[in-house]
Amino acid sequence: MMKQFMMIFIGADYADLGLSPEELQTRMGKWFAWNDKMQQAGFLVGGEALTPDIRRIVGKNRTVTDLTSAEVKEIVGGYYTVKAKDFDAVQEIAQDFPDYDLGATVEIREIMVFDK
Amino acid sequence: MENQLIDHLFRYHSGKMVSVLTRIFGLSNLEIVEDAVQDTFIKASMSWRKQVPENPEAWLTQAAKNRILDIFRKLKTEKNYLPNFYQGANTIAINELFLESEIEDAQLRMIFTACHPKLNAKDRIAFALKTVSGFSSKEIASALLTKEETVKKRLVRARKVIQKENLTFQIPQGKALKKRLESVLEVLYLIFNEGFHSNKKEQLIQEELCGEAMRLCKMLLKNIHTRTSESYALFALMCFHAARLESKTNAQNQILDLEHQDRSLWHYPLIELGNSMMYKAVENNEFSCYHYEAAIASEHLKAKTFNATNWDKILYWYKCLNSLQPMANHLLTMAVICIQKNDLQKADTYLSKLNANDFEQRKYLFYGTKSDFYAAKKNLKKAITHINLAIESVNNQLEKEHLIKKKIKLHQN
Repeated sequence: MMKQFMMIFIGADYADLGLSPEELQTRMGKWFAWNDKMQQAGFLVGGEALTPDIRRIVGKNRTVTDLTSAEVKEIVGGYYTVKAKDFDAVQEIAQDFPDYDLGATVEIREIMVFDK
Repeated sequence: MENQLIDHLFRYHSGKMVSVLTRIFGLSNLEIVEDAVQDTFIKASMSWRKQVPENPEAWLTQAAKNRILDIFRKLKTEKNYLPNFYQGANTIAINELFLESEIEDAQLRMIFTACHPKLNAKDRIAFALKTVSGFSSKEIASALLTKEETVKKRLVRARKVIQKENLTFQIPQGKALKKRLESVLEVLYLIFNEGFHSNKKEQLIQEELCGEAMRLCKMLLKNIHTRTSESYALFALMCFHAARLESKTNAQNQILDLEHQDRSLWHYPLIELGNSMMYKAVENNEFSCYHYEAAIASEHLKAKTFNATNWDKILYWYKCLNSLQPMANHLLTMAVICIQKNDLQKADTYLSKLNANDFEQRKYLFYGTKSDFYAAKKNLKKAITHINLAIESVNNQLEKEHLIKKKIKLHQN
């Protein structure tokens, strides 16, 4: 039975790390490779990158704050949805996530299925 | 998409975009421009995670254009910039500035700016590598064997001079062009040499430097005003050297001198290209240092084996070179050639004109040659004294090992 999972990428925004064109390109190459691998194995369902602008609404007063990634160290930069047998299988795919060396994190969550 | 296809795309594109945007915004907004280009790349590296566009270069250009419009809006100074493009006889629309020929023109302007006489000679290379070629400070530092801090200081200093002196973003004309072109060629020559002669482990950056110098030189050859016999000669020289790049190190990344290189690894298409560039370079009779250096390099390439090298001819070219540009290094090389030819009397004449202090950090070259000279004269004692002096004064570990091997050989005789 295949289940669906979400891999959430958390870490600093590329813009705040001051990466050179060359470094960005190397990193991009790694993303391509990872993406290809998942696609070929039939894991990949979808995914998006998120822009670094944040609007946050908090508390019973509905306080609204506009933030940019520079103000928040840990920002969700994007996600993939994948289908896999279990957590272990996703953890295995997540080995190839390219940004660990930048201190980034992958969070894996299973997508809940409700009975009809 | 194949990784190789997008290899260096960002770097090359960064230089192009910085140049084009600088043409629109002016040199005084260089920092805004660099930030804008950086933004474009970040956007690309995020959005291409899912799908690489079919034509990444066009995507980047479009994104950079959009970014300009963004900045225009943000700065609310459209009126200050746009009239330059929409009025007058030389009306040129922003879209047209992104045509291939205009991009090259903008890059040429950037190189000529980087080589402006008001900029400190050392700052020129760093500034050119940054703005024209898209190298990061870290990469420049590693390529030029300096600290990243030093590179950053040089870049800041260059930008300040540009602001203070109000430099224009133009290719000079008339007499000024000739003078400035000399400086441009010199910078390209130095960039290439950094790549070719450095013994660094990070091979990749070194090759990139050579490739970049060649790309820029090729650009000079495309423009009617900068297509001079001197530029042709420099390009020929680069081709000849680059043809040997592969064979310069062995599998263990040790340096191999000409004598020990595998000549079958030489890249013949580049040698041929160099030859045809050389024909163009000698169409008139104005010979530059690059002409002679290219002639020397080509003479080495002509020899099927090291022993077949035509040392007489090489010596002749060195004499020409030295009379045009007298340098201790040339004289030393001439001495080395005479030792090769076993013409020890001539070698002695050259060596007696030199002393160790002429060579600063590279004293070991002088001592090493002296040692070879005495070894050839069978004066073993003096040969060993000099090889010891050479070993004492060398910094580079690889060179040191090379000298120590030589010393052991001397002791075995």
